[in-house]
Amino acid sequence: MTSLLEFTGVSFSYEERSVLEGVSFCVEAGECGALIGPNGIGKTTLLRLAAGILASSKGTVSLAGRSMNTLRRGEAARVVALVPQRFEVPFDFTVEQIVEQGRTPYLGLFGGFKHRDHLAVERALHLADIVSLRRRIFNELSGGERQRVKIALGLAQEPRLLLLDEPTQSLDLGRQLELLGLIRALSDEGVTILAAMHDLQLIEGTFSSVLLLEPDQELRKGPPQDILQPEILERAFDCPPRSHPKLSGTNWLQLEKTP
Amino acid sequence: METEIEEKIESRSPAHTDRRIGFSERAFFMLVLLVLLAALAVVLVLSMGMGASKIGFREVLGALLNAHGAGGTNSVILFEIRLPRVLASALVGAALSVAGLLFQGLFRNPMADPYVIGSSGGAALGAGIGLFLLPRFTFLGFGATATMAFAGSVATMALVYWLARIGGRVPVVTLLLAGFAVSTMLSYSTYFLVVLDDNFGLRTRVLASWLTGVIAVPRWSQLEVTAVMIGCGLIFCLPLARRLNTLSLGDDYARQVGMQVEKTHLAIILTGSLITAAAVSLGGVISFVGLVVPHMARLVMGPNHVRLLPVTAIAGAIFLVLADTLARTVLAPSEIPVGLLTAFIGGPFFLYLLRRTRREYAL
Repeated sequence: MTSLLEFTGVSFSYEERSVLEGVSFCVEAGECGALIGPNGIGKTTLLRLAAGILASSKGTVSLAGRSMNTLRRGEAARVVALVPQRFEVPFDFTVEQIVEQGRTPYLGLFGGFKHRDHLAVERALHLADIVSLRRRIFNELSGGERQRVKIALGLAQEPRLLLLDEPTQSLDLGRQLELLGLIRALSDEGVTILAAMHDLQLIEGTFSSVLLLEPDQELRKGPPQDILQPEILERAFDCPPRSHPKLSGTNWLQLEKTP
Repeated sequence: METEIEEKIESRSPAHTDRRIGFSERAFFMLVLLVLLAALAVVLVLSMGMGASKIGFREVLGALLNAHGAGGTNSVILFEIRLPRVLASALVGAALSVAGLLFQGLFRNPMADPYVIGSSGGAALGAGIGLFLLPRFTFLGFGATATMAFAGSVATMALVYWLARIGGRVPVVTLLLAGFAVSTMLSYSTYFLVVLDDNFGLRTRVLASWLTGVIAVPRWSQLEVTAVMIGCGLIFCLPLARRLNTLSLGDDYARQVGMQVEKTHLAIILTGSLITAAAVSLGGVISFVGLVVPHMARLVMGPNHVRLLPVTAIAGAIFLVLADTLARTVLAPSEIPVGLLTAFIGGPFFLYLLRRTRREYAL
């Protein structure tokens, strides 16, 4: 079976600074993966490579069995959608007008909407549960609502793979849990998800796999219970545990950075 | 789920219903267009009747419809002086407003305007160079003035675009500073051409009027050339309008959904420069029209560029026909440059927008 997303020995550098070095992994259809790793390790860069916004300097990124280099941007955009972390809108667009932009890969020269496009926008609004917000101005929404709109924007692309960059960042606990509920619901609907996650406490119970990027190591992938282990996280995040006899197994949450 | 959503879509009216105003957005858009077109027709006819010699509304209308032709002097005044001038005002107003809309979309910044960012200044300098140094030059049937105005406008836009963009974003501060610096250099370079001309002849007077913004009575041939340039520019805008919506969400996002961002930026710069150059070669540097009109249009229509485009074009035409009528009647029999008037109206508006922008985007 062909993987939906496959990285083979992918390297990327911003001018002189190397960010990713020889990264290889696959994401299968139906998977709900959490991408974790310390700050600055290249999680966002990896997502941008997967979305075709950046081109790898070495190695191959394949989408549904085809190398990203052979795909036109419009073609890639029908398979993969990236929900960015930062999103600034300079004018007073309504939620619906924003979500409609997700249809761009499907539109012709003059951009007329067909029935299918309206349907995809409706579906995205329903899936993200923001139908009631459709007439609201995006810039007037709360952080949690904006996050949902961004996800709906990605869904309007009807992607087979949805990439989320830090979807729970700067949300309060209640909104974080709501958003995880949405991710689970999307996964149940058959959307393949790969989300860069900052907060490790939110992974178990929602994500089926974890991809760990760590310095000078190959990308490690496995079920959450295998990857979210104290000894693995200690090394990846450079945080020795408190020497406490009870710290074992799933007590990784109690890890603390020593001064 | 799929069927449920299908049903909900089917149950909706063909156009989306806007609960605030009680009828569909598309119907509202059509209504606004019709009202604006009717207003433009009325304003054109009224404006033709106004001036040193007043001619009644019915007489103007009659002459235009050729029903009971206005004989003699009035006919000359109407068809040789007033009609070309009001048409020129309408064209320039539409062009500058649409150029403002394009540049605001390109820079994702409501402060962008052909005057503020120096595009008009570049066109004026180009036109000046064409007039003084290359009077015999032609390109594809266009004279030196129009061609060089286009070249000057494109070059200035490219420079400001390069100066003002920081990591794919154009902060208000860098846009305004880059625009100010480039505009100032261009204005004084154009004045330099004036200084070079010892005789203070006709060309110098034309150049001086360009710098203040005066819509003189154009020759019909000049009007045709400009109309072709602006007409082509507006047609090029049609496929760009929806792309401006997508670009509003950021270059990265636009790239992600398959848009060729750099090519689209280039197309916007070329189209905006083309219509700015056409406007400048007809009316000189007229300030702030491209700022005020798109902003007003946005207040009525919202930010969707597909609908903003025609609304902005017609509203811009109305705005400048009114402004020019005021400019030639308020101190009659003498005239004030229309650029002076738009600066009086647009200047305070620019400052208001700057203040609001500072609050919203942290200048």
